[in-house]
Amino acid sequence: MLGPLLGGPFQRQAWAELAWLAATVPLTAAGFAVLVPLLLAGAGLAVMAVGVPLAAAVVLAARRLAGLHLRLASALLGENLPPLPSARPAGGLLGWARLALGDPAGWRSVAYLVLRAPLAVAGTWVVVALWVYYGLLNLLAPLQVLYHQGQPGFRPFVLRAPDNAALLTVRTAPGTLALLAIGMISLLAAPQAVRAVVAADRLLARAVFAPGRLSERVRQLEQARARALDKSAATLRRIERDLHDGPQVRLAALAMILGEVSESLHDVRLGDDNEDARIRGLIDSAHHNATETLTELRDLSRGIHPPVLNRGLETALASLAAASPVPATLTVTLPARPSPAIESIAYFCAAELLANVAKHGRASHAALTVTGRHGRVVLTVTDDGRGTARQVPGGGLAGLAERISTVDGRLTLASPEGGPTAVSIDLPEQP
Amino acid sequence: MPVPLRVVIAEDAAIMRDGLTHILTHRGHHVMAAVADATALLAAVDAHRPDVAVIDVRMPPTHTDEGLHAALSIHRSHPQTGVLVFSQYIETRYVAELLTGTPEGVGYLLKDRVANVSEFLAAMHRVASGGTALDPEVVRQLIGASRHAGELAALTPRERQVLALIAEGRSNAAIGETLVITPGVVTKHIASIFAKLGLPPSDSDNRRVLATLRYLQS
Repeated sequence: MLGPLLGGPFQRQAWAELAWLAATVPLTAAGFAVLVPLLLAGAGLAVMAVGVPLAAAVVLAARRLAGLHLRLASALLGENLPPLPSARPAGGLLGWARLALGDPAGWRSVAYLVLRAPLAVAGTWVVVALWVYYGLLNLLAPLQVLYHQGQPGFRPFVLRAPDNAALLTVRTAPGTLALLAIGMISLLAAPQAVRAVVAADRLLARAVFAPGRLSERVRQLEQARARALDKSAATLRRIERDLHDGPQVRLAALAMILGEVSESLHDVRLGDDNEDARIRGLIDSAHHNATETLTELRDLSRGIHPPVLNRGLETALASLAAASPVPATLTVTLPARPSPAIESIAYFCAAELLANVAKHGRASHAALTVTGRHGRVVLTVTDDGRGTARQVPGGGLAGLAERISTVDGRLTLASPEGGPTAVSIDLPEQP
Repeated sequence: MPVPLRVVIAEDAAIMRDGLTHILTHRGHHVMAAVADATALLAAVDAHRPDVAVIDVRMPPTHTDEGLHAALSIHRSHPQTGVLVFSQYIETRYVAELLTGTPEGVGYLLKDRVANVSEFLAAMHRVASGGTALDPEVVRQLIGASRHAGELAALTPRERQVLALIAEGRSNAAIGETLVITPGVVTKHIASIFAKLGLPPSDSDNRRVLATLRYLQS
């Protein structure tokens, strides 16, 4: 019981906690003193264009500062909180501002810095008062009193309260011993007081940043899903490319050579009639199989990743519209290229919807529009058919809705009796 | 034996490039250069001014449509050089790009078609002599996406076969051979088709092909 108390100043943990305060108090103070006024200014100026980016910049700065606190807490206090989720950059100044202002981790960082300000003050007070003022200075008191005693102009040693009221005036040797005792008690108590402040610090950091908060978990999962979708899109693209550069081209060359062999043997007699027919049959069959396999491979590979998508969604959709059995017009307004995963989903949706128009719509014309706005991509296929399209379980539209639900896409269908039918697919620009 | 042609090949897969070079050389054609990317292709065409360039659509560095752009550029700068584009896929959008302007001396075939060597060589000859060579798949898409579905529905199945072969760029004689009918019957079918579609009759193979393509795309 007494051991840890007496050993206080000599424990590693005490020094680590002291280092934590020494390192973070200036950070918190700077954050509070600079960011909070700027944030208020940003809110005040929000009606003007400059306010929003200012507030966004403050939130981002607070996020970085809080991230630094978290790293220090991990290194010095062993407080292992998860790092702040990375912010995914969005295009443009406005997208950037929206990202910063809509970022829960950023606002939590601001709250942390504001709430930590009083703790930083308390920590400073404990360190200055107990370690320095009542502790180290008092240890030096006997030296001063002994040195000056009996000399003319001797000033008694005065222990003062923080408000400068004299607490104790010492002129005698036993008095200095009392001061020495106060100093030692102070130094023994200082780590405990620091620990109390740091304990409050730990609680605050945990309360603000600890995982297990549902929204945080959702955000992490969304990011993991986006990474998984991007990765799978990249993998599909690579598989298509490997098929194209490997088996497809080899098979085409094989078919070409078999074709050449067959033509070269055209005027050559291969043994007797039976033998001749047998060998030609074999060659023709090999030739036929090679070309059939090539066709199957092409359909397979196209279902994996249509290569025309590499040229962008607009070109790919133009190709779809041009090949559509029901004449289709295409209008694309996309300020930025969506992520590959979204492009692929949009393409397959458009293909399915145009095929539906040809199959059921009894339409003479279809319109395919793609509009990008506010981080969303909306694809709409309208036809002038007779309408009454329904979303039935297990049907094509239900399949589409299921497919786009993996990226939080939405399908809306308007198909009154007598037409027209409009199907809209609303997708995020990034998964 | 048809006239030997001066050919430049652009194909990034060595196995295909070498195979084509072998077959063309064996058939008496002159392969002036066989290159693996679009930059080398343009340089080779500038240097050799070939009768025809056989071009793969996907080539380095991006492996998307370098070959198509090179073909369009050659078609503009060297109109006397035919461009025969071949590809693993038919993209209707690329067809439209190739057929705008003067689609003379232009071809677009699926890579599979090289398996039928004689047909492929016939297509190459057509393109080299200013004709067109479109893949049956291209023609199927053009007819499928045509705005003239009503008029096309008035054709007999035989006439539709003949129309598809015209759109592929084939001559009357070739159509007759393919469908095993006499030249007189072919001429009769064509006259009937052109009347039903409201196209002016024309006596040259090339002009007939162009009129048909323009009609299907309009």
